[in-house]
Amino acid sequence: MELRHVRTGVILGSLVALAVVGCATGTTTTTGASDPIANRQRLMKNVGANWAEIQNKVKAGNAEAVAVNAEVLSLHAQRITSYFPEGSLTDKSKAKPEIWQKWPEFQAAAKNLENRAGTLRDQAVAKDAAAVTTTVGTFGRDACGACHTPFRVPPPQQQPAAPRS
Amino acid sequence: MGLGSQAGCLVLALVLLSPAVLSESAVAQAPSAAEIARGKYIFGATGGCGCHTIPKQPVNAGGRKYDGPFGTVYASNITPDRETGIGGWTDEQIIAAIRLGRRSNGERLVPVHPYTVFNGMAADDLKALVAFLRTVPAVKRANQPKKITVPMFESVFLPAWLSAFAPRETPPATVPTSGVARGEYLVRAVGHCGECHTPRTMTMATDNSRFLAGNPKGPEDSEVPNITPDKATGLAWSEEEIADYLGTGNKPDGDVVGGLMGEVIEGTLAGYKDLTKADRLAIAQYLKTIPAVKNKIGK
Repeated sequence: MELRHVRTGVILGSLVALAVVGCATGTTTTTGASDPIANRQRLMKNVGANWAEIQNKVKAGNAEAVAVNAEVLSLHAQRITSYFPEGSLTDKSKAKPEIWQKWPEFQAAAKNLENRAGTLRDQAVAKDAAAVTTTVGTFGRDACGACHTPFRVPPPQQQPAAPRS
Repeated sequence: MGLGSQAGCLVLALVLLSPAVLSESAVAQAPSAAEIARGKYIFGATGGCGCHTIPKQPVNAGGRKYDGPFGTVYASNITPDRETGIGGWTDEQIIAAIRLGRRSNGERLVPVHPYTVFNGMAADDLKALVAFLRTVPAVKRANQPKKITVPMFESVFLPAWLSAFAPRETPPATVPTSGVARGEYLVRAVGHCGECHTPRTMTMATDNSRFLAGNPKGPEDSEVPNITPDKATGLAWSEEEIADYLGTGNKPDGDVVGGLMGEVIEGTLAGYKDLTKADRLAIAQYLKTIPAVKNKIGK
């Protein structure tokens, strides 16, 4: 009986310890405390990859399949502001100082991406291909460009196109 | 002058001043809805005359600041306000300012306003553009005086620079309607792409021997990409990708435009995004025909 209690205690303790370690690791990764610039650039690359995939799916007539990508965009958008701690601006970054000068506007731009991506996901889940196509038509300018224009220094060179699946 | 000719003049004057002729002439001058729509389209093809609008502020009301080696200038109010805008100007005076860089009082405009390329715009497009500008809500906002720091800039340096170094475009007799010629017209004149994308010489004139080869020190300290067809350092996108980009801001790699290019694509009341697919493709086709120039911009 006692042995069973001990075993249960060890198992539960191990699970809690694992959860704590997992959370701690996760926290370090998501807040980007180590290198916020590298972390947000990685996040934005992934945003771009998902956005490219959304466009490719719509062009291929597979609009309903964009739900998963839109969901990722919506989740990423929730993390954007945490990747821009005050003072995280070096010559490696394309962020403009206006981000911190107009922080509520920057927060609103991130929220705008989250909301629009959520709308796109819902349209895809509802299998409303026409609505998805319409949303995708202006999504780049309205959801991404609305933030890039005031808050990002444009990259000087055109990036090579990502290989299309 | 003989009596007969005096009488002739009197008759002519009476005819010209008769109400019927006056109303007919007034009707003839009133722009049609189609002409205003064409003007709005041209307005979009310039990028929405965005230099004249401070983002999120009244359209065309001016006040946007531009620093240059000669000092600082502020964009003019080009709304139809009679007191502070262009409401009191004639069509010809507005067109002279757009194409020739002359105010109605004869004063020269600083070529931050790109009249050195807008002089390549066709007369019909300019007339339509003016008709549209007169429909935008009037805003009373006094123009801020420029602050020129170079001595004798306007009296000596600017006229000399304009005659010696400034490029000149030739307006087409009729507006090209399709293909590479249409693309060239939109890129070189209306869209004034070279103002940002062409590197400048020591005199600050655009170096058209390297047309659209990128500018490491573009407006507002931006690095402006090389969009010649050079494979290593230029624009390697397909015509379809270029046309999509101008309409949506989407790049082939999933990135989305921002900065000043984002502004001109979005425009104000209209922008590059409002160009027809045919015109965006015409621009792309033209860009594929210009000489490839190796010029790496950025690291």
